[in-house]
Amino acid sequence: MGRYIARRLLQAIPMLFMISVVLFALVNIAPGGPLSGHGRSRRIRPEKAEILKRQFGLDKPLPIQYVIWLVGNDWMRVDADGDGVTESYGERRGILRGDFGFSYRNRQPVLEEIADRLPNTIYLMGVTLIVVGIIAIPLGAISAVRQYSVFDIVVTTLSFMGQAIPEFWLGLILILIFYAWLNNPFTGAPLLPSGGMQTFGMGFAIWDRIQHLILPVTMGMVGWVAWYSRFLRSGMLDVLHQDYVRTARAKGLSEHLVVYRHALKNAVIPLVTIFALDLPSIFAGSLYVELLFSWPGMGRLYYQAATGRDYPMLMAILIIGAGFMITANLLADIAYAYLDPRIRYD
Amino acid sequence: MTKDQVEAGQKEQNSVSVRSEEMHAPEGMLGMVWRRFRLHPGAVAGSIVLGMLVLSIILVTFSPYDPEISDIGSRLQPPSWEHPFGTDPLGRDVLTRVLYGGRISLAVGLMVVAITLVIGVPVGAVAGYFGGWVDNVLMRITDAALSLPSLLVLILLSAILREVELPFVERNNVVTIAVVIGLLSWMTVARLVRAAFLAIRELDFITAAHCVGVSNSRIMVRHILPNVVGPIIVESTLEVGYAIMEESGLSFLGFGIQPPTPSWGNLLSNAQEHMTKHPWLAIFPGLMIFLSIISINYIGDGVRDAFDPYKVLKQVGEV
Amino acid sequence: MTKKLLNLLVVISMLAIAAPVAVAAPPVQDGGQDYVVVKDDWLSKLSDKYLGNLLAYPAIMELTNQKAAQDSSYATITNPDLIEVGWKIYIPGATEAQTFMAAYSPMAPAEGPQGETSIVILVPEDPTGFNGLVTDTGYEQALMELVLLGLTDIDPQGEFYLELAAEMPTVENGGVVVDEDAWTMDVTWKMRDDVVWADGEPLTADDVIFTWNAIADPEGGIWAEGLDYTDSIEKVDDYTFVVHYNTVYPNYRIQFGGENFAVWPEHYCDASQGFVAWDCNRQPLSSGPYILEEWATGDYLSFVRNPAYFEAGKPYIDGVVVRVVPEQSVSKTMMVEGDADLHIWPSESVANDYLVAPNVDLSVSPSDRWVMRLFPNLAARGSVDPVENPHPILSDVQVRQAIRMGIDVDTIVDEIFLGYSKPVWTEFFRPPYICDITKPEYDPAAAAALLEEAGWIDQDGDGTRECHGCKTGAEEGYVMSMELTIYAEYGEELELAQQLVAEMLGDIGINLELSMFEGTILWADYESGGIEQQGDFDLDMWDDGYPGIDPTDHIWYYYYSEAAEPDWGWNVGRWINEDADALIDETYYLDEEYRQEMFCELAALLDEELPQILLFSAFDGAGYSARLQGVQATVNDMVTWNVADWKIVQ
Repeated sequence: MGRYIARRLLQAIPMLFMISVVLFALVNIAPGGPLSGHGRSRRIRPEKAEILKRQFGLDKPLPIQYVIWLVGNDWMRVDADGDGVTESYGERRGILRGDFGFSYRNRQPVLEEIADRLPNTIYLMGVTLIVVGIIAIPLGAISAVRQYSVFDIVVTTLSFMGQAIPEFWLGLILILIFYAWLNNPFTGAPLLPSGGMQTFGMGFAIWDRIQHLILPVTMGMVGWVAWYSRFLRSGMLDVLHQDYVRTARAKGLSEHLVVYRHALKNAVIPLVTIFALDLPSIFAGSLYVELLFSWPGMGRLYYQAATGRDYPMLMAILIIGAGFMITANLLADIAYAYLDPRIRYD
Repeated sequence: MTKDQVEAGQKEQNSVSVRSEEMHAPEGMLGMVWRRFRLHPGAVAGSIVLGMLVLSIILVTFSPYDPEISDIGSRLQPPSWEHPFGTDPLGRDVLTRVLYGGRISLAVGLMVVAITLVIGVPVGAVAGYFGGWVDNVLMRITDAALSLPSLLVLILLSAILREVELPFVERNNVVTIAVVIGLLSWMTVARLVRAAFLAIRELDFITAAHCVGVSNSRIMVRHILPNVVGPIIVESTLEVGYAIMEESGLSFLGFGIQPPTPSWGNLLSNAQEHMTKHPWLAIFPGLMIFLSIISINYIGDGVRDAFDPYKVLKQVGEV
Repeated sequence: MTKKLLNLLVVISMLAIAAPVAVAAPPVQDGGQDYVVVKDDWLSKLSDKYLGNLLAYPAIMELTNQKAAQDSSYATITNPDLIEVGWKIYIPGATEAQTFMAAYSPMAPAEGPQGETSIVILVPEDPTGFNGLVTDTGYEQALMELVLLGLTDIDPQGEFYLELAAEMPTVENGGVVVDEDAWTMDVTWKMRDDVVWADGEPLTADDVIFTWNAIADPEGGIWAEGLDYTDSIEKVDDYTFVVHYNTVYPNYRIQFGGENFAVWPEHYCDASQGFVAWDCNRQPLSSGPYILEEWATGDYLSFVRNPAYFEAGKPYIDGVVVRVVPEQSVSKTMMVEGDADLHIWPSESVANDYLVAPNVDLSVSPSDRWVMRLFPNLAARGSVDPVENPHPILSDVQVRQAIRMGIDVDTIVDEIFLGYSKPVWTEFFRPPYICDITKPEYDPAAAAALLEEAGWIDQDGDGTRECHGCKTGAEEGYVMSMELTIYAEYGEELELAQQLVAEMLGDIGINLELSMFEGTILWADYESGGIEQQGDFDLDMWDDGYPGIDPTDHIWYYYYSEAAEPDWGWNVGRWINEDADALIDETYYLDEEYRQEMFCELAALLDEELPQILLFSAFDGAGYSARLQGVQATVNDMVTWNVADWKIVQ
């Protein structure tokens, strides 16, 4: 097992390298860039553009830019003041040494910006995933146990519907219903807030936090619940027809024990894998939810960087995201091996 | 359409007798699949709904209205006999636009599937059949592609590709969107095909084929591939729905298909500011997406069951 | 009735989910009572137990705090999640609680915890900072108005008013001295001496000079209006300085103020970090009415009033919260529901919704600035040389005239822009420079005739004209088909207008393919692949206009021949005209009448040559809550220009 993990980790390095080259090329190949005028006046003077270009190191060929991004430029002479003369050593340390550079947009360190947003995303996505688990597992399990019952039919139908609703559309409807149309009968205020993480100026209040979570979590979880519960239902059906479950029944164990002790445990194993694969969304967040509910998370940070051609920010989020994905893949395999004793790795 | 309905009715009537038939039926594989497919009520209903959708999308050519020509005199009219789905801010008939939009959305879906298959099947087949370092290289590439945070890269790619001049393709048209989505979704098919090839190439009849000197490519195409058709069809069906959904999401972000070419995605996302006052602009494209995806998923489910002999045996054995 | 029932149902089900134990009918107390907190109590539990409503806990909290103000035996609750065993609190009776809760709304920020007034301003994206010269989306400027001052500004009527300046320098009062021989000038500014920074340091001429030098710094600086004409600034005393110009610069009155420029504190900002990147862009030291209190990136910025603000008694409102709400449909709903007080630049259809919403008002700028216009590319696509490679279609002025005649601006303005826009056909349509140019007529028949005359005839009958003896040098049979480009950020209205224009021109035989790009692509510099700078377009449509009251720089940028060089300006249609150059040179005078004359001669030339086809003004306004008084949108500044004067009326 240890050797297996080590091997997988070793494989991850060239893979990340490959991904980073591709992404770097993609990000930089597009027309437009950080030097385009921002906003309404749209003008940037040519002299100024030249200076900025040298300061950002955009005057160098792409492969060199990539190397600088990767390992920094503190070993080479650069043109810090943009006057065309290389006079001092650079200050970039490169991502390999944890320096993701500065955002072109607001000149803040990229990692600081990410550190500002990441907790918000983890908070929202964490709650969402927990709620998904709490809802989807019983739904899937019960509908499998009572296959073809009314409950099963309703759950299955709902899960098909849940997968067919465009996410942003659901969010708009939720805002309309619970913010615009329904009021709290005691206060006359909207039943649920339209967005944000908490009421401004209220300090930390659990109820307030929960109120702000209900709609975004609902919007984010519907697709997931639908997919997880369907997945678990079919897994559970498979397990329920396995020989060992029959044996357990034949031994005279109570149906309850058979289902929840033996069957559910085994049916959840593949779900754990899927779950591990979905974990990176804790990092990337759900863009649609964040946009509609004004949630200051990673998805919006990325979107803003993509529309504004903020290369350092784009690259940082993409590469960290890819790192998360690879880790999650590995975790999924390990979890699978750990939970399912039939699987052996050499 | 009527044929479908009749069959659906029949299915419900003889649901008991069909089962006994199931046990002994030495017929062609496709016939068997079709018969099993008909057993799945969701799949049958899905086929009917989707069939009607496709039919109206084809018949919309005869609509008295043009999807792109404005009629300023009749802006934003609520649904009426003349305009069953109402009119949009330029006075265009929403029904006509929604149906034309369906052409685009379904076209995107089908193109995505085509791209997925064109990349995924060969990659999976070659990797699974030859194994060794070929497998290793191809699967590492697949893994790398799977490791991309897909929505993020989707945004990036559609932002870039719609502004770069590509050979053969005009800037930012339907094909670009399909290519972008397709490039990020072939991996599942590749893995699926590889797994099947890995398993089947060890079977006796393949070894036998080798012995009589059948070429590798022939074995792959003629002997192994047909056995993978089932899962591929299931995956492709679901992919159509997935692509429609992705396109609507991209439209919402402003990276989808550009007006005036209507697509379900851009019709829906353009309607968001009108939701309270002119809800028909949002309801109908939303409904179309909903109906088509739910039908497609049910059909996919039915196809999966139909191709899964184990599942059918289970059903028979159980009751 | 149904709605009420629904409300009730939802609340009941929420309660049922949240507290399954509390489903049984709770005992409702009628009179108020004191209560001593015991172990395992928490506010919402008590609220549920005594008031029958989990959500009524603010009633307990606030009423207890009111009692505590008079009677110290009551506890003061600052955090509703934290109450301690042994505290004496007051639990109101059911009626009392209901009355309280009806008045209390935690989401309406009118009354803060201390009875302070505050307002919520909505912006669609996290601003990059407070420096309008560095990033110019408009929202940075709106924030700048909250915290920083300039020397002068322009009000909605187009009149100058003073902020830090004590008087406006003019030739008459000796503040402006022109050297007729050298054609240079000196301007002497006198500043107020009673303005201090929020930390108590006086705001002096040193700060102005410091700011200007930071802008002019070749390393960390940026371009600002007047930069090319300013030789140096010289300090006379703490509150007086002289600006030496290398020419006569008519726009001097707004050089140290206006919507983009603010004076930055010398003792606080770190010049070595450079003007564009220094930390004080994001953590400014205030001289204006408000002080930045907290900035949760991507979420909100909160401001409190600046006690050191120089206008006595102002600002009237104690606090401002700027919330980032990316989706316009959500912003609109928040305004309508009363959760926000100001929505800057709503779209035309949202503005229309505000007109009918009872608690939202709409402020529209009294004058217009932004003019939606078509830029015809006179050079062939991808070329920047209109002489060597003229555009096969648009280089003929008759074609441009036909295009103008073929667009029904009135219909677009009325139907798409809902009357918020007005037809505009010349750059000189607003004070102080108004030129008498006749409004062009919408006449598709005449447009078609003009095209025939220009050699564009539809011989194959496919609805699109081809070149048959046209004068642009296009080959015989060249199809009259082009691309019409817009930018994505404006929103649905511009997309609809684009479709209508294409349709109208299609009717006279000009085929247009539609495309749309982000501003970062359309307006990027030449090397980054900027579509305009590279000349990679046929016709494109966007809106612009000059701030304030001096069009000189704006005109230079759009119509001067040098501005056609890639990255030198925005003459991206590459219109090269010596007469225009001469006229523009002549406008760099101080004599208003002479300037007017030159501008109007230019206006006539532009009307004839049509290097740009001006269509209509774009809407500039803001939605604001009805409880807010004093809001006035303006094209000359951001709507927050007079935030210190705003009041809340209930």
